[in-house]
Amino acid sequence: MTGLYVALGTLLVAAVVGRLVRLRDGRNRRARAAALPEDVRRVLDPADGVTLVQLSSQFCGTCHQAKALLTDLAAGTAGLGYADIDLTDRPELAKELAVLRTPTTLAVAADGMELLRVGGVPKREDLLTALRPHLSA
Amino acid sequence: MSTTPPVPPRASVDPRGPRFAAWVTSAVLVAVLATGWWPLLAAQALVFAVGAFAGLRYAPYAALFRVLVAPRLAPTDEREDAAPVRFAQGVGFGFAVVGALGYAFDVPALGLVATAFALAAAFLNAAFGFCLGCETYVLLNRLSIIKPKVGTAR
Repeated sequence: MTGLYVALGTLLVAAVVGRLVRLRDGRNRRARAAALPEDVRRVLDPADGVTLVQLSSQFCGTCHQAKALLTDLAAGTAGLGYADIDLTDRPELAKELAVLRTPTTLAVAADGMELLRVGGVPKREDLLTALRPHLSA
Repeated sequence: MSTTPPVPPRASVDPRGPRFAAWVTSAVLVAVLATGWWPLLAAQALVFAVGAFAGLRYAPYAALFRVLVAPRLAPTDEREDAAPVRFAQGVGFGFAVVGALGYAFDVPALGLVATAFALAAAFLNAAFGFCLGCETYVLLNRLSIIKPKVGTAR
């Protein structure tokens, strides 16, 4: 009988977690790492006011969806760049960036400061709206 | 060096297949928890192992999907990478093995906990399309004691 309760409890918890993940998915969140490490700064194009740095892994289910959206967004927006970093073999960098899941996208200013981050596939309009103040320069 | 080089074409699957498999897996794991019958969990571990190590082509639930379900659905162009799905099967395999050992060697608490984790992951995938193992790969990798990386199953 205990087992059945454990099963029901597990399904309940998973359902709640699933809803929370879905709510947070693709939402803009506060920056976690203020000044980013050299490994990230290196991929920034100084010509761009803001670079969207997508953090991916080989076992990521939705990374190519995120990539398609972000490359398209960057191509159509002046001053917005795109770069991809594969964290598959770089757990230290994942730790340093406090990244728990892929895809996670960091919006990084030209000076290497993180502006915001998005877990999951970003929402195009929300992201653009949040970045607009930083793109005017 | 930091950016990804262009990737070669990769194995892919109809995304509805893994979702279907996750539903079947969830049902099996609920039955395991309800009955505590370890041979059923061992069988599920075997199913995970085939998907993770031999390939999704041979995975029993994927075969079930192709024969029973896919013919009734409209065809789709949507594709999903096979690597994350296989990786998730590998994670499921680990939990199922631990759980089956727990039940078989009379450590029911271990059996319950390991099976519950596997059920949570399978249900998240089935109901929400959220692949816990895949998305948190970087976290698993960070926590992994087996450096430099876990889950080489592809």
